Amino acid sequence: MDTIANDFTINIATANGTGSQSANLILLQSLFDMGVPVSGKNLFPSNISGLPTWYIVRLSDRGYQAPGDRTHIQILVNKATWEEDLAALEPGSVVVWNMDSKMPVEREDIISYPVPMTKLARSLNPKLSKLVTNIVYVGILAELLGITDEALNKAVAGQFKGKTSAIELNINALELGRNYAKENFTKTDPYVVEPRPIEKKRFFMEGNEAAALGCIFGGVQLLAWYPITPSSSLAEGIIAYIPRLRTNDEGEATCAVIQAEDELAAAGMVLGAGWAGGRGMTATSGPGISLMQEFIGLAYFAEIPSVFWDVNRVGPSTGLPTRTQQSDLSMLYEGSHGDTQHIVVIPGTVEECFEFGWRAFDYSERYQTPVFGLSDLDLGMNRWACEGFEYPDEPMDRGKTIREQDVFEAMENFGRYRDLDGDGIPYRTLPGSGMAPILYRGTGHNPDGVYSEKPHDYFALMKRLKEKIDGSRDNLPAPILNENEEGDIGVIYYGSMENSIQEIDDLLEETGLKVSQCRVRALPLHSEVEAFIRRHKQTIVLEINRDAQLWGIMRRELPNDIVGQVHSVAYSDGMPPRARIYSDLILETINEVTQ
Amino acid sequence: MRERPARAIKLNVLNEPKDNYKGGPSSLCPGCGHDQISNVIITAAWENGIPPERVAKMSGIGCSSKTPAYYLGQSHGFNTVHGRMPSVTTGAYAINKDLLYLGVSGDGDSASIGIGQLIHAIRRNMDMVYIVENNGVYGLTKGQYSATADVGSKKKKGKANETQPIDLCALAINLGCTFVARSFSGSKKQLNALLKAAMSHKGFALIDVISPCVTFNNNDESMRSYTYVKDNEVTLHMTDYIPHFEPMAEVEVPEGNFTDITLHDGSTIRLETISENHDPSDSMAALTALHEAEDEKKHVTGLLYFDATKPSLAEDLGIVDTPLLDVSDDVLRPPKEMLDAINAEFLSI
Ligand SMILES: Cc1ncc(C[n+]2csc(CCOP(=O)(O)OP(=O)(O)O)c2C)c(N)n1
Ligand code: SF4
Ligand SMILES: [Mg+2]
Repeated sequence: MDTIANDFTINIATANGTGSQSANLILLQSLFDMGVPVSGKNLFPSNISGLPTWYIVRLSDRGYQAPGDRTHIQILVNKATWEEDLAALEPGSVVVWNMDSKMPVEREDIISYPVPMTKLARSLNPKLSKLVTNIVYVGILAELLGITDEALNKAVAGQFKGKTSAIELNINALELGRNYAKENFTKTDPYVVEPRPIEKKRFFMEGNEAAALGCIFGGVQLLAWYPITPSSSLAEGIIAYIPRLRTNDEGEATCAVIQAEDELAAAGMVLGAGWAGGRGMTATSGPGISLMQEFIGLAYFAEIPSVFWDVNRVGPSTGLPTRTQQSDLSMLYEGSHGDTQHIVVIPGTVEECFEFGWRAFDYSERYQTPVFGLSDLDLGMNRWACEGFEYPDEPMDRGKTIREQDVFEAMENFGRYRDLDGDGIPYRTLPGSGMAPILYRGTGHNPDGVYSEKPHDYFALMKRLKEKIDGSRDNLPAPILNENEEGDIGVIYYGSMENSIQEIDDLLEETGLKVSQCRVRALPLHSEVEAFIRRHKQTIVLEINRDAQLWGIMRRELPNDIVGQVHSVAYSDGMPPRARIYSDLILETINEVTQ
Repeated sequence: MRERPARAIKLNVLNEPKDNYKGGPSSLCPGCGHDQISNVIITAAWENGIPPERVAKMSGIGCSSKTPAYYLGQSHGFNTVHGRMPSVTTGAYAINKDLLYLGVSGDGDSASIGIGQLIHAIRRNMDMVYIVENNGVYGLTKGQYSATADVGSKKKKGKANETQPIDLCALAINLGCTFVARSFSGSKKQLNALLKAAMSHKGFALIDVISPCVTFNNNDESMRSYTYVKDNEVTLHMTDYIPHFEPMAEVEVPEGNFTDITLHDGSTIRLETISENHDPSDSMAALTALHEAEDEKKHVTGLLYFDATKPSLAEDLGIVDTPLLDVSDDVLRPPKEMLDAINAEFLSI
């Protein structure tokens, strides 16, 4: 029998609250430590205990990180989804299942490995049998696939850091599983794990933790937040790093944290911090941003630095709260009533989560405006390989804030909202300084910050604000281009689609289609994006939503002569992007537009 | 003609004339209670020798919330959004806890749209003065009832109000607010003393000031008209304030009974007994006074409740002593070695 090495997908169906997550992470980490390119996706419910959870582990020597088109190895532990999961398998798939569930596996066309998981687990620790069951299946898989004890032991040690009894229990359970498989199964499936040399050391990291670290290195001074999946771990990441990175010897912190009463209050606090001259931020998801709308407009109009991280989940409304999507883009870009436009930075990798974490504050203080970080559940809450973080290569940019009396006195014609430099960005003084005090307001104002309803004041103010944000575009993260000399077709994408793009590209190439790529990393759009479009006959904008939000923005903002050559492929079903769905849609669209 | 001797301009302890505490001209309706309160704010801040640049004027939205433009023109201020002044103030406080946060709000701003934020600012014992300019109506949107309108009270237009009012003082006492007072825009002396005391307090100081709306709620059937309040005000005590910079020995001792309360900055609020002694540390007595007044369709004024023992938000935040604003960038951004160490730790897992 031919073997298939490092190119298959394992789907683990359990119920949440049973401790399966730690077992799954041990599996993932041990594969990673063997040098196998691997990715893990946690498809979990909005619930604490008892609802179905799937964990998808994909091994791919080509480095594919998307969930893949099909399952090759199914672990069946959860009765609730048993039949469905079983029925979905293609012939030839492998099933490792818990015999003690008393559920049938009546398919002749699959390779079946029945395991008395509960009995085995009980024999080891009757009280914790549910928990142990999970680690038993990892032991079974280890034996069937060839995962080394060395890698497993290291992963267990890493998972339970110094908790000896937990480490012992897990190691024993792994062994129990491995021995059961050794004694009872003859391998009849082709799937194996082969170690690969590790060229560059990397580690696993969730986007939210990376963003949290980035914010810490960005000098965040106030975190005001209200818990919401999938953003909570970003806020909690900051809280976790403060004692080590932002606390003095007396145990006093240089970053305040307030758990607000709601997102409205969180936004208000962020604005208060920015108004007072500090670096304030919040982390939330779509529903929170919805609540913050009024404050976002105030921050834009009164020109208050403020940073908002949105870890996108599936909307509208409560939507699919634990699934991923790129559907908050237009809400962020045009947040609040009236004419507005905001800076949005969009990381596509864990490294960028860190980098944009600190840069967002610089942009916000430079342009005196709200800045949004747009991540999503897939990037934020799943683990991604990361090479490490680069220290900020520029000092903190505190913008045009006058802090010294002599600087202020040397200024001519100061007005809080007067454009002295012709870049649309005014200067500001801070409360408490005694320099040029004004009453900040959300009402119309003249360049001196005095209330005004005069048509020319309003018109000039809105024009300046537009120019100010427009002027930021080429100072924001430039798109990442990957151009194909022969290609007539360009693909524009953003955010966590980065993790599927390689596979999409390969699938397209299999059909003979070569495309160039452009990953947008910020709004307003960098001028390179337009140039990219001009270099291609047709461009497809790829996104994980229904309404083609980036495409909509582009259609409105691009010059008329190229709008017609920009097309949309937008698709979302709550799942992380599976490459084939998008490559098929791209081919369909290209067929349509080139006819 | 004989030359008149030039009158010396009166200065406060900072050698500042009162003019330096004034703001722009008011655009409110002539006679509006809110303007009376603005004047008391100017006088109290001046007499108390507060450096204007160290005050942050905060407000929400409403006629009342417009008033920061009319006082303390040398202070920065923030006229925020409707009902959300507490959160903005909280965020500003986290960055610069050394400013005196002086918040002004309305009854619509505080008892309806913003009641949640008010409650949570009290819960955190946010260090600020919070004045509600309470007229029983939404002035700025032209006279709808607010949630503090008294039962049986009738505004200029429409039917009498029959919905139970929210008494912000009772609410605050129940929440454990550390300084709760009620006053009347027409009672300048009392309001002045209460306001100064609130400025000297560390923690959340609520002053609910009945402030008649002459345009929509000053008719005879209204329980918040000037005449009604004047005729039905029950004062708990005579209120006096003795600033910390004034030697106590030089202050005249009242004839009757009185209680002195020492405030955070060393100043004193003196409560002189009128008929019965009100003990402001007794929350039950304060609530009884409020409920009795409500039953009798009266307005009880004075320092209802006071508690100096609770920690304020500053202590809760666990931040450095220097305001975060003054922490330098190289402290805010950890050094490169820290990030290198973190990278190395992750790589060695
Ligand atoms: C979100 C929002 N909703 C409604 C309004 C309209 N509005 C402006 S002021 C106000 C009521 C103000 O009443 P109050 O706080 O009692 O102040 P007053 O004018 O009586 O002093 C309302 C409803 C608004 N500005 N914002
Ligand atoms: S409408 Fe009422 S509250 Fe508003 S300014 Fe006039 S009198 Fe004052
Ligand atoms: Mg009112």
